[in-house]
Amino acid sequence: MPELTYREAVRDALAEAMQKDESVFIMGEDIAEMGGSMGVTQGLLQEFGPTRVRNTPISEAAIVGAGIGAAMQGMRPIVEIMYEDFLTLAMEQLVNQAAKHRTMSGGQLKVPLTIRTQGGAGWSPGAQHAQQLESWFVHVPGLKVVFASTPEDVRGLLWSSIYDDNPVVFFEHRTLYPIKGDVPEQLAPIPLGTARIHREGEDVTVVATGRLVHEALTAAEEAEREGISVEVVDPRTLLPLDAETIVGSVRKTTRCVTAHEAVTRGGFGAELAAVIQHGAFDWLDAPIERVGARFGPLPFAPPMEQWVVPHAEDVLEAIKRTVARG
Amino acid sequence: MASEVKLPRLGQGMESGTIVRWLKAEGEEVAKGEPLYELDTDKVTQEVEAEASGVLIKIVVPDGEVDVGTLIAVIGAPDEDVSAILEAALSGNGGRAEAAPAARPAPEAVAVPGDGAATEPAPVSAVRASGERVKASPLARRIARERGVDLSAIAGTGPEGRVIAEDVERAAEALVAAVPLAPLAAPAPVPAEVEVVELTSTRRTIARRLTEAWQAPVFQLVVTADASELVATRERMVERLREGDVKPTVSDLLTRLVASALVRHRAVNAHFVDGRILRFPQANVGLAVAAPTGLVVPVVRRADHLSVQEIAAARADLVTRAREGKLQLADLEDGTFTISNLGMYAIEQFVAVLNPPQVAILAVGSIEDRPKVVDGTLVVAPTMTMTLTCDHRAIDGSEGAEFLGTVEAFVEAPALAL
Repeated sequence: MPELTYREAVRDALAEAMQKDESVFIMGEDIAEMGGSMGVTQGLLQEFGPTRVRNTPISEAAIVGAGIGAAMQGMRPIVEIMYEDFLTLAMEQLVNQAAKHRTMSGGQLKVPLTIRTQGGAGWSPGAQHAQQLESWFVHVPGLKVVFASTPEDVRGLLWSSIYDDNPVVFFEHRTLYPIKGDVPEQLAPIPLGTARIHREGEDVTVVATGRLVHEALTAAEEAEREGISVEVVDPRTLLPLDAETIVGSVRKTTRCVTAHEAVTRGGFGAELAAVIQHGAFDWLDAPIERVGARFGPLPFAPPMEQWVVPHAEDVLEAIKRTVARG
Repeated sequence: MASEVKLPRLGQGMESGTIVRWLKAEGEEVAKGEPLYELDTDKVTQEVEAEASGVLIKIVVPDGEVDVGTLIAVIGAPDEDVSAILEAALSGNGGRAEAAPAARPAPEAVAVPGDGAATEPAPVSAVRASGERVKASPLARRIARERGVDLSAIAGTGPEGRVIAEDVERAAEALVAAVPLAPLAAPAPVPAEVEVVELTSTRRTIARRLTEAWQAPVFQLVVTADASELVATRERMVERLREGDVKPTVSDLLTRLVASALVRHRAVNAHFVDGRILRFPQANVGLAVAAPTGLVVPVVRRADHLSVQEIAAARADLVTRAREGKLQLADLEDGTFTISNLGMYAIEQFVAVLNPPQVAILAVGSIEDRPKVVDGTLVVAPTMTMTLTCDHRAIDGSEGAEFLGTVEAFVEAPALAL
């Protein structure tokens, strides 16, 4: 099996789709010559030329709006929003336009648009360049929301997002770009709405997204040394959600921790907890624990930043609370 | 206007019932439709709902057996004078109520507040006043419910004393080990002397009916069927489930197949009553269910008209309510045939006792991979042994054999039941 970094896996999916399919093209701020602020699209301009790898002005509303128009005209555009914090500037286009056209036209229009973006703390980007806003979009009917955590997943999920006929907001995590992982020889599409069980366990299920998948796996190893068997599940697609796999896991383990880097309050963990308590009520042996960032703008100072966002030890503490004795 | 609460007739043939306990205390408010008391009939113990709203002014019969139609309580306005109703009723209430000592009320105990304006708030029911809510996880509550363990008797080891699943499991094991004969709901130390277990009326009914059944001249027929297709059919059905569907069991498929066989062999789908045979046009299949208070046989009506999915839904509802003691009399009536399946206990085969007035009962064993000869070659196949007990007064051997042959054919090729 070849090994790719998360960054290379994203580029690989983009390049393969563009090779295969003339209707696929990418645009965004500084994605052409510069190869994107995170270096994801490096080399694509040389391979596919300036009509299919397009730099845009600094206007997120225009980027998403142009993507919507192209998508409705039969293209499969992938637009890059440099930081997910800047999605706030494109909210009107995303929420009122992209998400609505298919249903408001009675199915006559489709919006096969993929909005790639990235965020996340861990490198002192400050409060305006590191937020995790994925749960906002889970609240909007008409959108799909993906958050991939491994090279294999990001490649297979990006492919499925490009070929989905609905607008997909595709979240990548800044600190995951350099991580390496095995990927299948041939690009294997991963259907949207399928969770991945990273590790099987008996006592507690940790449902984690993004960077916290890796923190949860570290916590699970530590817990195992203390005799607690932890199952780690990554929903991968937040909308649609693979409730069956997640609820099934909790019915088996009878305890659950949700974990993401976004602030806990109103975060995706709240939605997960609601789905799980309903589907597994009679199987729950402890309250569902939520792990997330402290409720404040992210500080610039590295020690403060580390204090605000969750790590493996926070997941481990939550795991222990679920199996606690009085 | 006060309304009299009289013992209702909940099913054909019900003449009396035993009041187990009241779910509301005197003085407590009760709304129409709320469970008011628990009634033990010879078939089930069930909660009976209030038919009027108001304050439960007087419980006339706190517990014990009473005849249908007997005044057992009065519901009215908080300050209502009901002494006239009570006096009239007491002079008329029959001997059965007299037989229950607690049923004889002392006149001065009749709570009739003289001054309506000074009415005190209704006292909280004794159950709530004494019983602080037990902190227990949902899983612990479910296990306690299923295994008949009293949560309030368990010391929780979870955070803040919460009862967790492990605590209930430990208590349930201790209960089984310590007092196998005692009702599960009342954990007690091992008695030093012989323990006398009074029969509940359900248990009494089981004893009486099965003893009656034992008098019937019966014979048994046994077949072993290859269940490969049955199992495969079920798996295909499970794969195609929609959200909210109940997962069908092998028993559910069998219920459907047996129902189809019954309407083709109506001699077996019959009652033997008063020296006559009543053959029924539709198959109401009873399912033997182990409930906490004893064996009950809730009925899936018109099983020959239902899809497997509908049978699964009906079965799930009946079994859940059977385990919770919430079956109604109507759930138990009009069965034309009974299936008793002990496959889940890994019982290979067994003989079931008739469930009169029905004339036959099918005992189903476990599906296991067993050796089987096909065309002179030994192969391994999942097989299932079924034993049909027949009442010879109503059925001859050939009739029973033809029916059982049809059941076997349907099990081996479920499509034949179409």
